[in-house]
Amino acid sequence: MNNEPIITVENVYKSFGHVKAVVDVSLDVYPGEVVVIIGPSGGGKSTLLRCINKLETIDKGRIVVDGHSITETKNINKVRAEIGMVFQLFNLFPHLTALENITLAQRVVRKRNEKKAKQIAHEQLVKVGIGDKWDSYPSQLSGGQQQRVAIARALAMEPKIMLFDEPTSALDPEMIKGVLDVMLDLAREGMTMVVVSHEMGFVRAAADRIALLDHGSLVEVTTPEKLFTDPDEERTREFLSQILH
Amino acid sequence: MNVKSREARAGRILPFEIPWGSVPWWAVILAVVGVFVGWSVLTSEAYLDALSFIVDGVSLTLQVTIVSYLIGLVVGLIFGLMRVSDNPVFYAASTLYVEVMRGVPLLVIILYMGFVVTPRLREATGGQIDLQGVPAAILGIAICYGAYMAEVYRGGIESIEHGQMEAARSLGMNYMQAMRHVILPQAIRRVLPPLGNNLISMLKDSSLISVIALNDLLQTGRLYVSRTYRAFEGYNSVALLYLTMTLFLSFVVRIVERKAAIE
Repeated sequence: MNNEPIITVENVYKSFGHVKAVVDVSLDVYPGEVVVIIGPSGGGKSTLLRCINKLETIDKGRIVVDGHSITETKNINKVRAEIGMVFQLFNLFPHLTALENITLAQRVVRKRNEKKAKQIAHEQLVKVGIGDKWDSYPSQLSGGQQQRVAIARALAMEPKIMLFDEPTSALDPEMIKGVLDVMLDLAREGMTMVVVSHEMGFVRAAADRIALLDHGSLVEVTTPEKLFTDPDEERTREFLSQILH
Repeated sequence: MNVKSREARAGRILPFEIPWGSVPWWAVILAVVGVFVGWSVLTSEAYLDALSFIVDGVSLTLQVTIVSYLIGLVVGLIFGLMRVSDNPVFYAASTLYVEVMRGVPLLVIILYMGFVVTPRLREATGGQIDLQGVPAAILGIAICYGAYMAEVYRGGIESIEHGQMEAARSLGMNYMQAMRHVILPQAIRRVLPPLGNNLISMLKDSSLISVIALNDLLQTGRLYVSRTYRAFEGYNSVALLYLTMTLFLSFVVRIVERKAAIE
């Protein structure tokens, strides 16, 4: 593992009005690492993730991604193009087909020509296991298929980092595995990933480190082995006992 | 085919079933009235005389409506985008425009364009810019309707789920790229019905330009009535011509909406 972190989060604070969403969080993510953020709902997991690509602006602290300070960079779009993001509700563009969803940003942001963009889009769709659905509109796809298109859309930009914001929590149970398999493959290929998820199967199989966030504060950062056998913090034990039934 | 349906078929006079529930009754009534009116018009010397005189005003009415509408669509889009902008200057300027234009009656705007703006502008530019007549009318209607359309666009843009903009931005698109490729294509589809209604209202409101002595449909009708004193035939003909055009437009608008919905 490389010694230079690709994401540095330093003493970050973020509030929404009186609600403190993120409180003094510091976390480094190294290239090729898979970090899973867990914690009770309303604990600030999604907010922290969204701060990394500046979908939320932070109140205090510093976030550096791939050498660019998120707060100071002049061209956030350039940094964002290197950070893929997958949303809980997929957020596919409903007026475009699966293929067009994947080619749009390639053409507009990466300035690839139509042919090249389409070729990459087809490759990505095959990779996420729905190569035959390129011509379907999002409304014609199941939730699991939509989420896989969303992952393909992010991957087509050839990002250095992938952020996953509860990617399986809006899916029907039988759809979850397909999406997690895609994410597992991605982890095995060495993609740097920050994942907000409570899928403990994924945590066991792919996570390098786990961060527990509660009331906006980082309670503990630990490895999967330690998490399941002997977590340091009482709060972590308590949370695990609630989600592992 | 089972026995029951064959029996049912045998007992019927018509070879097909009439879907009584889905018959557009308003259109049937309109067609009946239309045939009656058409018959009485075409067999009446007085109506033929009135119509053949007044129909000359149709071209100006259509011309003013269409050009104003096209300008209004563009003006509305620009101000609609400014209304949803984070830039305080854009927001303030567009809000001011919308509130002022929606707060002043169109008739007043047209009079203002015709008798205040046009002569002042002519003087100020030494005759270089002269909006006299049709241009003044078109601009008046366009800037007034632009305000209504700006609000229509704004509503459409704000109705698009926030996640769409976030997804586009997370892929590295800038605000305008996301707007152009992701938000507007969806928003415009949603606002086609109100934009279509605006076109129909505009056609009717174009009759207000008769106050600055332009020979549109209404003005031509009034001219006919003042010459012949046949107010009944004259204004009936005017109403009939407006109605024909608005019905045709609402038919076109429906087709466009249906097509956009399927895509």
